[in-house]
Amino acid sequence: MKRVTLMTLVLVVLATPAAAQSPEDLANDISHKVMSPFCPGVTLHDCPSQSALDMRDRIEGYAREGMSEAAIMERLENEYGAAIRAEPSSEGAGIVAWILPALAALAGGALALMLVRRWTARRPPQLVDGKGEPALVDTSPAERQRLDAELGRLRGES
Amino acid sequence: MRSLAGLGRPSLLVALVFSLFAIAAFIAASRTGRRDLSEAGKRSLYATFGFTALATISLITALLAHDFSLSYVASYTSRSLSVPYTISSLWGGMEGSLLFWTTLLTGFSALAIAKAPARNSKLVGAAGAVLMGIAAFFLFMVAFPGNPFAEVAGDVPVDGNGLNPLLQSPGMVIHPPLLYTGFVGFSIPFAFAIGALFTKRLDDSWFTATRQWTLFAWTALSIGIVLGGAWAYTELGWGGYWAWDPVENASFMPWLTATAFLHSVVIQEKRRMLKVWNVTLIVLTYGLAVFGTFLTRSGLLSSIHTFSEGPIGKYFLPFLALLLVGGLGMVAYRLDALRSENRLDSLISRESAFIANNVLFVAAAFTVLWGTIYPIVAEVSSGIRLSVGPPFFNTIFAPIGLAIIGLTGIGPLISWRRMSKGAFWRMVRVPLVAGGVTVVALAFSGLSSPGALLSFALCSFTATAIIGEFVRGSRVYRRRDNMGPLSALNRTIARNRRRYGGYIVHLGVLLIVIGFAGNAFKVERRADMSPGDTLDVGSYTLTYEGVRTASTSEKDIFEATLAVSRGDDDLGTMRPQRNLHLAQGQWQSEVAIRTNPIEDLYVVVTGFDTDRSAVIRTFVNPLTWWIWAGAAVMLAGMLVVMSGRAPVTVTAVKRAPAKREPAVAR
Repeated sequence: MKRVTLMTLVLVVLATPAAAQSPEDLANDISHKVMSPFCPGVTLHDCPSQSALDMRDRIEGYAREGMSEAAIMERLENEYGAAIRAEPSSEGAGIVAWILPALAALAGGALALMLVRRWTARRPPQLVDGKGEPALVDTSPAERQRLDAELGRLRGES
Repeated sequence: MRSLAGLGRPSLLVALVFSLFAIAAFIAASRTGRRDLSEAGKRSLYATFGFTALATISLITALLAHDFSLSYVASYTSRSLSVPYTISSLWGGMEGSLLFWTTLLTGFSALAIAKAPARNSKLVGAAGAVLMGIAAFFLFMVAFPGNPFAEVAGDVPVDGNGLNPLLQSPGMVIHPPLLYTGFVGFSIPFAFAIGALFTKRLDDSWFTATRQWTLFAWTALSIGIVLGGAWAYTELGWGGYWAWDPVENASFMPWLTATAFLHSVVIQEKRRMLKVWNVTLIVLTYGLAVFGTFLTRSGLLSSIHTFSEGPIGKYFLPFLALLLVGGLGMVAYRLDALRSENRLDSLISRESAFIANNVLFVAAAFTVLWGTIYPIVAEVSSGIRLSVGPPFFNTIFAPIGLAIIGLTGIGPLISWRRMSKGAFWRMVRVPLVAGGVTVVALAFSGLSSPGALLSFALCSFTATAIIGEFVRGSRVYRRRDNMGPLSALNRTIARNRRRYGGYIVHLGVLLIVIGFAGNAFKVERRADMSPGDTLDVGSYTLTYEGVRTASTSEKDIFEATLAVSRGDDDLGTMRPQRNLHLAQGQWQSEVAIRTNPIEDLYVVVTGFDTDRSAVIRTFVNPLTWWIWAGAAVMLAGMLVVMSGRAPVTVTAVKRAPAKREPAVAR
């Protein structure tokens, strides 16, 4: 029953039409998603040049004409090339940009987990002290005596 | 002032010769352990610094004397430029900034070697050789391909081109030196790490000798990065502070790996583990710092921050390869000597949390590196030109950043070595409740952005965990010595400055994250306004009253006046400017910002028309104030950390018994 309710809720949310964006808001959104041809290395939104502002006006004009975001992006790509998109596409050459960091993070995480498991698995069986608490392992009586002496000195007892 | 430019290049050549002699003396000292050779190396190092500083001073005199016979002075200054900006033009161009870098490097090297413990003469000798090797490279660069003392071809101009108006800002006087201080500061731990690998002295000596340098470099880099953001916010006029621009990324990458190092080195101190990892991290950090300089100055990647390009890229790449291949090759060569002396006792331990933290930081650094260089990789490998901009970095970085924030809260709650699941749960439940309450409270108050909700919840979780540490620590003094809460807190921090200073840094980071999360609620409006027109943005109403003009010897000023109100409240006027810098013929906007902890009202004028109308762009940026406040808290925390003494080790205790202190640290 719960599952049905949850699915219904999800369907309702998905089926609800998104609030229509104003042409200014759509142009603003798009300006975050395209690189500026006028300021190297930054998006159109972040580029302070007059040419960039003119290009934003042009995009707002497209939005006023009723063009969708996808259509505007396609138009800009036809005009300026694939490099106008601020993020690589999820297909073709662009997909490598997305996959490699994820793979590297997974590999790093897996390697760290493997090492941690190996380090913890290699431990000798744990000793238990008189109170049933896990005792410090792999310390000989001589080492314990030395440790006590050092701790005593650290506390200023000698 | 009289120009002493004639001293510049000869000083650099003499410094280069001294650096080469220092390398030879230090190598011989590290092999033989002879004090006289070590002393000769040190004196040569000091001479290297002295002559490099002399070259820098001579360039500064040339800048102040408007000695336009030097190409550098003519390119980056003008007679109308104020004295502070004339001096700051030392790092306004490639050649000057390389000279500045080299001066910092030789100065830091002199200090580090002079203060290094004499008993580690072999390690100090090897580290000195590495530092002087790096210095020799940079001295070669400034003496030959990047010579700031090169003369102009043809007639000496009457006036110079002036400094880029974007660089004429107080932030830009401080920001580059701090970044360079951070980059160069990492030379010291790098050199001592390589020295330790060469001399096989792979105990704690190398990082205890350079601990303060690492903290200093990290602090300078952190504050430099934040000041860069503040500069972008107040000068570039796009309402933001971070654009994932290649040059911003260049400073962020070494910061990420250095942050990982600062955490993982604690495990080496406490448990004698992760030795391979730590030397690898410091090699990577320094490699990325040099890579950052290469990116900034080679012109390989275009960036709005790349103010100058030059023919130095071809020298940097082999140098970078030598640093990385040589450094990592030495790590591989000494792998056996770098084995951990202990093992992990449990998955639920602070060591595990630190390792997870390191994986995340390094994954973050790799992501930034990959995103920065991918356009080149794609173009070289497939001939396709692609861009990797903020949407890519934000998508990948957000989950990593949030996971790091979560771990920042979990880490202090877990004890070293091992912790039972029950004890862990007891420690974590209060912060979890705080995080949950935050989500519910914010959701009820109308906040619906899942990313922002998660960010605030994690910040609340982590802040509660950290504050809990201060409470537990000071409780000991309150109970034992009947101290008041503030006195007990003060004593707690004073008795373990590294630990509690670190927590203060973490609190600063949380404030910065809160500032970032405010971005989800940013509002932006733009309008072409005639006098009398109004513009609503967020809860504010702006009324454009007109434009005022003025002229100085440097620029023509066009200032818009906007009356600001909220409801019936008159909030005063804001006066953004659009100025024409005469020497460069370049327009630049001066932003007007009304800031408070809740939100910034940010107004920029992007153009005027002949009918006195103006194009006004406004932003309401919620919580941005907390970013700068967080940076100040971070700085305070780092000062506390740096004022702390080195950790007490068994050998130190043997030499000098410690005074009796209550055991407040777990």
